[in-house]
Amino acid sequence: MKNKGLGEFEELVLLAVCILNGEAYGISVKEEVEKHTGRSILLGAVHITLYRLQDKGLLKSKMGGNTEKRGDRRKRLFKITEIGMRQLRASQEVKQEMWKLIPQLKFSVS
Amino acid sequence: MSTQRNSPPAFPRWLVSKFISDNFLEEFFGDLQEIYADRIEARGKRYAVLMYWVDSIHLLIGFSSSRIFKTSHTMMLSNMFKIAWRNAFRQKQFTFLNVLGLTIGIATCFIIGVFVHNEMTYDTFHTKGDRIYRINQPMIWGNWEDQFASTGPNVAIALQEDAPEFEQVTRLLSLGEQIVNASGNNREFNLITEDQCYAADPNFFEVFSFDFIEGNSVTALQAPNTMVVTKETAQRYFGEKDPIGKTLDIKQNDNTWISYTITGVLDNVPAQSHIQFDMLVSMSSFKKDLDTGDWKWIWTAFSTYGLVKEGTDIQALAHRIQSIPPKWAAATTERIFNQAFEEYTRGKPWTLYLQPLRSIYLSDFPDNHRFGPTGNPQIVKIFSAIGFLVLLLCSINFMNLSTARSSTRAKEVGIRKVMGSQRGAIVRQFVFESVLFILVGTISGLLLAQLLLPSFNIIAMKQLSLIPYLTNSLFIACLFLFVLTLGTLAGSYPAWYLSAFQPIETLKGKMSAGLKGKGIRNGLVVFQFTISITLIICAFFVQKQLSYTSSLDLGFDKDNILQIYNIEQFDIDTEVLKTKLASIPAVTQVGKSYGLPPNFWDGDRYRPDGPSSDAIYVSNVRADEDYLNLLELKFVAGHNFNKASGADKHGVILNESAVKALGWGTPDTYASNSPIGKTVIQAFAPEASLVVIGVVKDFNFHSTKLNIEPLMIIHPDNDLFWYYGFGSSYLSMRLNPGTVKNNSDLKRVIGDVKATLAGIDESVPFKYSFMDEEFEKTFQTESRMSIILNIFTGMALIIACLGLFGLAVFSAEQRTKELGIRKVLGAKVSQLVLLFSAEFTKLIILSILIASPIAYWLVDVWLQDFAYRTSIDWWVFVVATASALTIAIATIGYQALTAAHKNPTETLRDA
Repeated sequence: MKNKGLGEFEELVLLAVCILNGEAYGISVKEEVEKHTGRSILLGAVHITLYRLQDKGLLKSKMGGNTEKRGDRRKRLFKITEIGMRQLRASQEVKQEMWKLIPQLKFSVS
Repeated sequence: MSTQRNSPPAFPRWLVSKFISDNFLEEFFGDLQEIYADRIEARGKRYAVLMYWVDSIHLLIGFSSSRIFKTSHTMMLSNMFKIAWRNAFRQKQFTFLNVLGLTIGIATCFIIGVFVHNEMTYDTFHTKGDRIYRINQPMIWGNWEDQFASTGPNVAIALQEDAPEFEQVTRLLSLGEQIVNASGNNREFNLITEDQCYAADPNFFEVFSFDFIEGNSVTALQAPNTMVVTKETAQRYFGEKDPIGKTLDIKQNDNTWISYTITGVLDNVPAQSHIQFDMLVSMSSFKKDLDTGDWKWIWTAFSTYGLVKEGTDIQALAHRIQSIPPKWAAATTERIFNQAFEEYTRGKPWTLYLQPLRSIYLSDFPDNHRFGPTGNPQIVKIFSAIGFLVLLLCSINFMNLSTARSSTRAKEVGIRKVMGSQRGAIVRQFVFESVLFILVGTISGLLLAQLLLPSFNIIAMKQLSLIPYLTNSLFIACLFLFVLTLGTLAGSYPAWYLSAFQPIETLKGKMSAGLKGKGIRNGLVVFQFTISITLIICAFFVQKQLSYTSSLDLGFDKDNILQIYNIEQFDIDTEVLKTKLASIPAVTQVGKSYGLPPNFWDGDRYRPDGPSSDAIYVSNVRADEDYLNLLELKFVAGHNFNKASGADKHGVILNESAVKALGWGTPDTYASNSPIGKTVIQAFAPEASLVVIGVVKDFNFHSTKLNIEPLMIIHPDNDLFWYYGFGSSYLSMRLNPGTVKNNSDLKRVIGDVKATLAGIDESVPFKYSFMDEEFEKTFQTESRMSIILNIFTGMALIIACLGLFGLAVFSAEQRTKELGIRKVLGAKVSQLVLLFSAEFTKLIILSILIASPIAYWLVDVWLQDFAYRTSIDWWVFVVATASALTIAIATIGYQALTAAHKNPTETLRDA
């Protein structure tokens, strides 16, 4: 994969999948992201991102958890992969490194 | 039940399943359905459906480049799309004309469609609406053949007693204008005139579904002197305060006030209801009037509505209730008319008709619905026809332009064939392009319609909106169906036609496709212009008829007459009032009347004195001598009431029509057999004799839409009538046009009149009108509809011209070389222009020849409905067709000029 960086929305979705810990599927991810960011998000955007992340190998999935509300259809439940976790950490570290390099930060915190 | 209600729209699901591979459908549909159920709970069904669409389409677009998409589709589609895009882009002018024509046509069609749909769905919000019928009866005061939309109060009682099929029967009595005041307010200064005030039975809300915000629908109208008001009305009196338990006072005829307690607040009445009210008072408040029993069957002011039980056989019921009037009405006719039932009806059936609630608004009978907005079925029909024609025009346009355009693509088809393309693939490409065009045209047409709708609403006085339609999945599905059907139809002709070419021929350049399709194209142009020209001629005549009827000589001078209302509320001798008003400098004459033209709606039955004469219906109005002078009525025989002679007050003045209807001849027989001194007898109690003292020339006391009917003028002091001393009265003033020159003069006069009246009694609301404006109002609907008709006609013409323009451009391209050679050989520019235009002009002239007789016939049929008809003059045809021809020539002229002006060396150079 050429570009190893994560998009902002991709990162949010990855984090949501981690938080949901095995219960992550289209709607729950959408709600989780909406809850934390306060934005309103289209279901389609979540789906597309989930699949893109799976294609990149950052997520894996299996089917399960059918309910009557869904017309007895199964969900696709997503889980983060080793690579996904590593990418997320890497992304976090890069940011932290960069935050440290901002000179004004020391003043504004105190 | 709940799964049925909550199942998401099927069409987007089908669409998604067509493009997303099956392995993934389960999870997507699962998610979509889950969130759909959540949304229904959170924001309602409409929102959920809309979002279901959004999400589905989002899925399709989002995954269109993903492996989840069915790949064969994607590749084909993107290739087809690419070719379509290139072609559209290469021929920008055609693309623009095509999409513009579609946009205008589809927008027009949408607006008309929304209008027509709105007109046809009145009164559909009542949950029991399919079981509600209004009871109509014959017009017992006039022509028994006519239906009358109201009955006496006891029809409801008789039905409830004798016809158990009715679950409920409820009555509504229009109270006309009422002067209302919130109790506790200072009465002098806070009067509101309510004109949508009705009395209703307690079971009104068990029949009709008007929503209560506060109060109990069962008990609200039970007690006397209670009322239910709409939210808006409550706010008018009490602002945001809770109106329940508060009282409103209504002024009575004798200037006393009666207090009504508010027991309920309703949501505002939906616009699509033929019953429009601001306040409903309990029917029991009028118990005294209802109990004075004599006139229970002839007090025909009650609108009676019956709710039948489920599963009732309406035919049988309608048949069975016919036995009710002879049984119940006899008591009334005997007491009031001193006639047995059969004697009173003279053998004519007193039929009780059952009119379904939902058909009332758009029904053309009975003539007078007594209250509420009434639709015009003729306008709905005409508009539907125009909507259909405009759609047809723009479809034809589209087909025409696509066919013309496609012949330039013969080479492309040839190459594709050589490369091994199947015929099916080529057909699919053409159909795909045409569907794409229509899709774009439809979407931009919707946008345009949304943009134009506010202006349309102002002209048509409606509150239409596209939004409820766009969230209706049935409507969206129909839209898609329309796009696919029209796209396939319009695309299929060029598709089949072009795909049948032999590649060798087309590649050699032996293509004369442009000429081949010409017959059909010319035929379509003629068809288009025939429709447009017919519409133009009709629009001209509608205009002509309107200006004719509104400028007709009424038989009196309606200009400069100021009319003051509520005179009956002054506790003062009218003569004193008249003298006071006459002293205002601009006022030349003051007269009193108990009705104002064009609204002389009172009338009764009279018969000429003599043996075995039939009673006839005669309109009557009470007016004094000054009023007749003020109208400048012409006396054909006899004289006006004479103030000095007290005997005249019992005399009556007839118009020519009344004299004729009573069988006393026409003006030329008056000399030998004068109607003056003859006697008319009231066909009702007290059956007094009235001597004719004068005959006036016929004048139009109704709208000029109607014929002049028999009229009797009664002196206000004539006490031989049972209603002597009752009724609304008016003072009319003729203003001197020399003194009242402009609006500020007029304002001053009105101010003077108001001050004079306020000096006498401040509690009487001041209301005035001008007679000429009242006459204009009778044509309000017609003028509005005529404006709309003109706009739509314009739209149709624009579409036809767009098509013509496109064809001219195409023809100019095709004939560049021909024109170049002609020029080289010595033809002048003017000759070339003529040659080029002649081809199209011929088509337009042919259209004119076909359109004129059609238009003549349509106008002739339309005019039959009017009492006064404008003449169908030949010059209107000339003007209308000449203008159409001019527009058409202007459309092609530009192309003709540019084509003729091209330099032959350039057009002929590249072989």
